[in-house]
Amino acid sequence: MSTVIDKAPAVAAPVRTGRHSAAAVLALARFEARELLLQIPVFVFFLLYIGHALWKLFLPGDGMDDYPALQSVDRSSQSVLPFLAVAVLMCVNVAALRSRRHGTDGHFDVLVMEPWRRTVAHALSVVPFAAVTALVVAVQFGRAALKPGAAGHGSPAELAVGPLVVLLAGVLGVLIARLCPSIVGGPLFIVVGFATFLTASVVTGEKEHWLNWLYPVVSENGADPIPSDLLGRPAAWHALYLLGLTALLLCAAALVSGGRTRLLKALTVVALGATAAGIAGQSPGHEARLTAARTQVNRTPGRFQSCVVHGRSTYCSFPEWTGWRDDWARVADRVQRLAGGGAGGERLTIRQRIPLIYDLSSDAALTPLSTPGEVTVGTRWGGSRVPEFAVGVASVLVAGDEQAVSRVCDARVITVMWLALAAQDDPAAAFRAVRLDDSTAGSALALAPTEPVPMSAEQTRIVRELLRQPRYSVTARVKAHWTELTSPKTSEARVAELLGVPGAADGARNGSGKGADEGAWCQQ
Amino acid sequence: MSAVADGCLRVPVLLPPVWRALPWRALGAAAGAGLAAAAVARLVPGGPDPAFALVLLRCAAVAFALGLAFLLDDPARHITAAVPTRRAVRTGLRMALAVPLAAVCWTVALLLIPGRTRPPAGDVTLEAAVLAALALTGAAAAVRCTDEPQPGAAVAVTSAAGTALALLLPERWALFVAAGSPDWAVAHQRWAALLALTVAAGTALLPEPLRRGPSLALRPPH
Amino acid sequence: MTTAPTVSASGLTVRYGGRPALDDVSLCLHEGVTGLLGPNGAGKTTLLRVLATAVPADRGSFTVLGHDPGTAAGRQEVRRLLGYLPQTPGFHPDFTAFAFVDYVAILKELTDRAGRHREVRRVLEAVGLSDVRARRIKRLSGGMRQRVALAAALVGDPRLLLLDEPTVGLDPEQRMRFREVIAEAGEGRTVLLSTHQTEDVAMLCHRVIVTAHGRLRFEGTPAELTARAAGRVWSSTERDPGARAGWRTGMGTFRNVGDPPKGAELLEPTLEDGYLLVLDGEPAEVASV
Repeated sequence: MSTVIDKAPAVAAPVRTGRHSAAAVLALARFEARELLLQIPVFVFFLLYIGHALWKLFLPGDGMDDYPALQSVDRSSQSVLPFLAVAVLMCVNVAALRSRRHGTDGHFDVLVMEPWRRTVAHALSVVPFAAVTALVVAVQFGRAALKPGAAGHGSPAELAVGPLVVLLAGVLGVLIARLCPSIVGGPLFIVVGFATFLTASVVTGEKEHWLNWLYPVVSENGADPIPSDLLGRPAAWHALYLLGLTALLLCAAALVSGGRTRLLKALTVVALGATAAGIAGQSPGHEARLTAARTQVNRTPGRFQSCVVHGRSTYCSFPEWTGWRDDWARVADRVQRLAGGGAGGERLTIRQRIPLIYDLSSDAALTPLSTPGEVTVGTRWGGSRVPEFAVGVASVLVAGDEQAVSRVCDARVITVMWLALAAQDDPAAAFRAVRLDDSTAGSALALAPTEPVPMSAEQTRIVRELLRQPRYSVTARVKAHWTELTSPKTSEARVAELLGVPGAADGARNGSGKGADEGAWCQQ
Repeated sequence: MSAVADGCLRVPVLLPPVWRALPWRALGAAAGAGLAAAAVARLVPGGPDPAFALVLLRCAAVAFALGLAFLLDDPARHITAAVPTRRAVRTGLRMALAVPLAAVCWTVALLLIPGRTRPPAGDVTLEAAVLAALALTGAAAAVRCTDEPQPGAAVAVTSAAGTALALLLPERWALFVAAGSPDWAVAHQRWAALLALTVAAGTALLPEPLRRGPSLALRPPH
Repeated sequence: MTTAPTVSASGLTVRYGGRPALDDVSLCLHEGVTGLLGPNGAGKTTLLRVLATAVPADRGSFTVLGHDPGTAAGRQEVRRLLGYLPQTPGFHPDFTAFAFVDYVAILKELTDRAGRHREVRRVLEAVGLSDVRARRIKRLSGGMRQRVALAAALVGDPRLLLLDEPTVGLDPEQRMRFREVIAEAGEGRTVLLSTHQTEDVAMLCHRVIVTAHGRLRFEGTPAELTARAAGRVWSSTERDPGARAGWRTGMGTFRNVGDPPKGAELLEPTLEDGYLLVLDGEPAEVASV
């Protein structure tokens, strides 16, 4: 029996291709980047990240994001990054250990590309993912910045944190693989590292500014936007720190893998210098100076503002928010047009203010102003902030000044709320939005830029009924009975009668007058 | 009947070699990391606050689960696959040996947290049990669906990524809720349901299939 | 051989825990296929690993086309000229055959993407794996994997090819194909082929080196090795106690190698007979370096 052996096919001559060390590292990085994308954790997390970004971009919002303050938007891009970073770290770690796991190390070590350059290639394989992150961050920020209502200034250094953290995670994954060449190293490092970081912050307290800023991401979300010069975030130094740290860890990984070239050593020194400079630059807290400056702006905002007169009223804002004055004027005018008596012609001063905060993650309330005719407006706008501001305007029109509003626990609430809500395009939706619990029945707090306005169940019912009636007829009645409606002595029943709302007796009377809950609010 | 009796007789003989074949390095590293995370509580002057204690315990639970993801790693898998002792028996023995050890480690981790700040022990133990069960089920699934002798790395990375994903769950499906949160009880009902599902899936995955299943286009970390 | 040798080594010595794995080995390798024969533990793999720059020699030196791997730059140059198939090549099981060879090609600094892909396709075709190049390595048979490893060694057109037992575990047909690929590779290149199979050497190699206990026992042509057994192979009906080696054949007679008794029925010698004689303590006959 004879075996038929296929003749080996005629094979073309060897292909001559160029050989360049640096280009080879880039080619390997590209190869590894493709492999990385096919890893389930990286794939899923980036899909979620991009999907979430697209969803935010294209889903019609509730108007809350129509007036972004860019100095807060830049930071908000950092909140989901730790999750991306975890996935990247683990998968790069596994990829860097692949040769070892499958026993190809011995073979690859005699190939032209030295192990340390393979290490560098593994770290560089994260660059496309950092680029995608940068793109997503840029699109998110660009979209916010292009909105007609955008205010303030973004910081490129804050935007750079996202891509830099992804890079840092990748480099850290490679370094862990080189230091602890066991596959269990990466995931356990994350758990132990997380616990260590957390402990460090618990032991030293969150007030340690320099320690806080050693974390890759210092998001500090929560407070309302404040003028850029009061942020006190050493963003540029922090970006330098991240960049230096990334380069330093990469150099360390390359050195551990046997790299000894002069360029590498020089880069290590430079990276060390950059990291040290970043830490030195971001560490001084300047808390006292910052708090003093914030206190000054909080107490005497007028010194830092410019004002413009629109119609009867004056609108004062910080320099970064001048674009919103027209929107405020539109709302204030509409509210004022509904008011009667002297209030309809009152000269108001709309004053933008920031609360006194000590750090950017704590939310603080604005104290009411005592100057008559002065209305507070915050540093956010759009969505429910519009009716909230209208409540503020209406309160001052009815009660005279903001401090007096906090003592309004009587039937004037009805007038205030109707003025504020009837001036909205969609009063019913605004009614729900302005109430703390989004309800349209029962007692609840109605939000305003300073102190909230407590509404009893009966007041809620009357306002709801009023909003159902044609605006022109209610407006006429409000203007006609303005003095009585804005008197603290007028009872709820009388207000209802003046405004043509049937008494609660013929409906389901569920606690007319003050219930126990709203009584408690009003005594505060 | 005799086969079953035979199997039962074989178990004591199998125990020592299975014990030696356990992936001790991964298990030991995970146990060490988990206990270290819990021991951190003792370093905090004045003791940790309950929220911090809870996070530490969860770190420990994740570390233990990561170790268990390596439990079914068997470099000699292609040799041991063809022996008459069933896979379910071999895998079951590994679990029977490792689970008590994990339970001891977990108890130590719990005791490392000072009593007055310790979160409800039963509830966090439920969380730890689910994480461990998910890791073990993942390992069983990897053994069933792939030829890989050591799928632990992929399972561990996927488990860690899954845990990170669970942290991103929206509030109404949240699993990792804060200590003292009003959603604590509801979240732990979810944990209990997850445990039941995981154990059921894990049990179903234990026996060796007679036919090949579908394979994935995407791949776990390799 | 009049051309300059591709590899010239002198006094290579490698010790593992005091036991010499290579003991003062000097040799020259020229263009064409050279076979490296020897029993297990003879130092074949160590010699290949030293020449492949995977382990440095404790003593001695060698050059490849004039490049000295004793310096960092020289070692890089040697590695640029090298194709190496280790004894137990590892694989990344989730890579396709193409991706794996492409990966090795990148590590050999073939950077032009299109050119590299053409080169990868070329070597995969040369080893007969064109049809399965998109298949993951874990789905390939053992023989196919071995061919993937050979393709990885061949990629980048190396001037020196070091193959450590490439035909182990291959079926006869695959082995024939392998021989063809290696023979083709030996045209215009230097190939050092470590093997246990004397037929491989007989069919492929223009030179043969025999090692035992870390030392060279023979260097010459296969014909010269065969000639060492001329007149020293005989047949007998009983095992001949005077023979250096003897084994029962399928015919029921014994084939003996050594110094034949008078009147013995002499047989035609083979390469294997020469090899056995050289192994059995014949004085080393090594070409001077």
